Amino acid sequence: MSFVEYLKEKALYFFIGILCAVFVVILLIFTGSNLYAVAYSFTLIFIGIAVCVSVDYLKRKDFYKNLLFCMRAMDKLYLLSEMVSPPGFYEGNVLCEALKLSNKAMNDQIAFYKNSMEEYREYIESWVHEIKTPIASGMLIVENNQGNAIKSIGEELEKIDAFVEQALFYSRSSSVEKDYIIKEQSLRGLVLSAVRRNSKALIQNKVFVEVEDFDFTVHTDSKWIDFILNQIISNSIKYKSENSKIKFSAQKSGTNISLFIEDNGIGISQKDVGRVFEKGFTGENGRKFKKSTGIGLYLCKKLCDKLGLSISISSEENKWTQVEIVFPKGGTHLLS
Amino acid sequence: MRIAIIEDDEKMRHELSVFLQKYGYEVCTLENFEIVIEEALNKNPDLILLDINLPLFDGYYVCREIRKHSSVPIIILTSRNTEMDELMGMNLGADDFVSKPYNMQILLARIESVLKRTYKADFAQKLSHNGVSFDLSKGIVEFSGKYIELTKNEMKILHLLMKNSGKIISRDEIMNALWQSDEFIDDNTLTVNINRLRKKLEGIGVYDFLITKRGQGYMV
Repeated sequence: MSFVEYLKEKALYFFIGILCAVFVVILLIFTGSNLYAVAYSFTLIFIGIAVCVSVDYLKRKDFYKNLLFCMRAMDKLYLLSEMVSPPGFYEGNVLCEALKLSNKAMNDQIAFYKNSMEEYREYIESWVHEIKTPIASGMLIVENNQGNAIKSIGEELEKIDAFVEQALFYSRSSSVEKDYIIKEQSLRGLVLSAVRRNSKALIQNKVFVEVEDFDFTVHTDSKWIDFILNQIISNSIKYKSENSKIKFSAQKSGTNISLFIEDNGIGISQKDVGRVFEKGFTGENGRKFKKSTGIGLYLCKKLCDKLGLSISISSEENKWTQVEIVFPKGGTHLLS
Repeated sequence: MRIAIIEDDEKMRHELSVFLQKYGYEVCTLENFEIVIEEALNKNPDLILLDINLPLFDGYYVCREIRKHSSVPIIILTSRNTEMDELMGMNLGADDFVSKPYNMQILLARIESVLKRTYKADFAQKLSHNGVSFDLSKGIVEFSGKYIELTKNEMKILHLLMKNSGKIISRDEIMNALWQSDEFIDDNTLTVNINRLRKKLEGIGVYDFLITKRGQGYMV
């Protein structure tokens, strides 16, 4: 707060003070006082006012300067109340108090929602585990019996399972808690196990898999990566074309390791490819296939962000789609 | 090989035992959860499939208690599938960890590999059918005194067919079984493999052993 601003703010006081001084001077002149006495009185009053104003200004200056600086410079503004201390003048003290109280009330409110979110997440998590048992029994029944109807129910059960899994990871992805364990993993092992898990769907849909000869270790959570690879593989199956094929390859570039998953499916149009990670975005392919929910890749991106990996997609329509996942090498990203 | 199933969901227990019996395992199920640990030890199984969510004691406790008295291999079946759960299971002495709903081929493969690891010596299996005998450990087929050696894929295919002799095995099933050991073969490769296997068998005088059921699959 500059002095001019301060003066503007206190203009009325100043004006009244000067006005009073003028009246006093007029009164003194009319009562025939000595001119020196008149000048003296006027100066005295003026100095008095000036001193009061200056002292008051100096008291506020530091407080407001600090406050304004923090307001502009701070990244997390809700911590503002931690940065100001009671300045010793009434308005300032009240302001500080108000900031602190409002902050605390807001924190309580946030804690309330955090708790209810956490409870909901726990419920989802236990629900998912409950539902897995009937799904597993169902799949066993399908396995133990034959017939086209049974087989087709089995396929539906697998879809249900995939959706349930998605719900589970959705709730995990938005949780504040860290429920993954980062360990050293063989990238090849992760890929192979994801392919094995999808073997049935891949074979049924006649999608050929090629895993290039690579062998890297990466630091990540195997379950999360499994989910991510699953989503990508099931996308490749969903949007396949003739003689479909998925190729896994990996490359070391600098300190990073990139995993490429490339298919020769229907691809993604240029105007859609930049938006595939948006929540609920289904694009042209979504309209054509109707099975798209716009959640799968959104989740992949979110989980990758949490794991400290980067994921990107490039594609040429009607030709190919390539997903790249970059694993930072070494344990440095674990610190974040 | 006898497998004990410790699982509280009745339907699941039943279906799992039917499924495993179909694949030639002897199965015993434990239903009294108050004495589940004693029972599991008494029945002296070669492998235990253990669910985590059990009444009375949870699976982790059961696993730890069994480990105190026996080194029988234990595979934990669970719907909780975080790394954390897996670590916990392994720390308590479980040999493997399969999450629900299981891909049956994966479950079978895991059971087989745990059994193989534990009972190396007893696992030198020999299968025979119609005079053709197949030594799994060496990968050699014998017929009336003549031998041939098989490649890895051919072994897998013949193994699957001979184990299920008399039943039709679809091409998808054969491919699935091969995929479980990371041989991601396609349709054409399977055809090539089957033809080569047939030629090899004919080479030692085995004709019409591997029968094609058009549109359904193969059987021996």
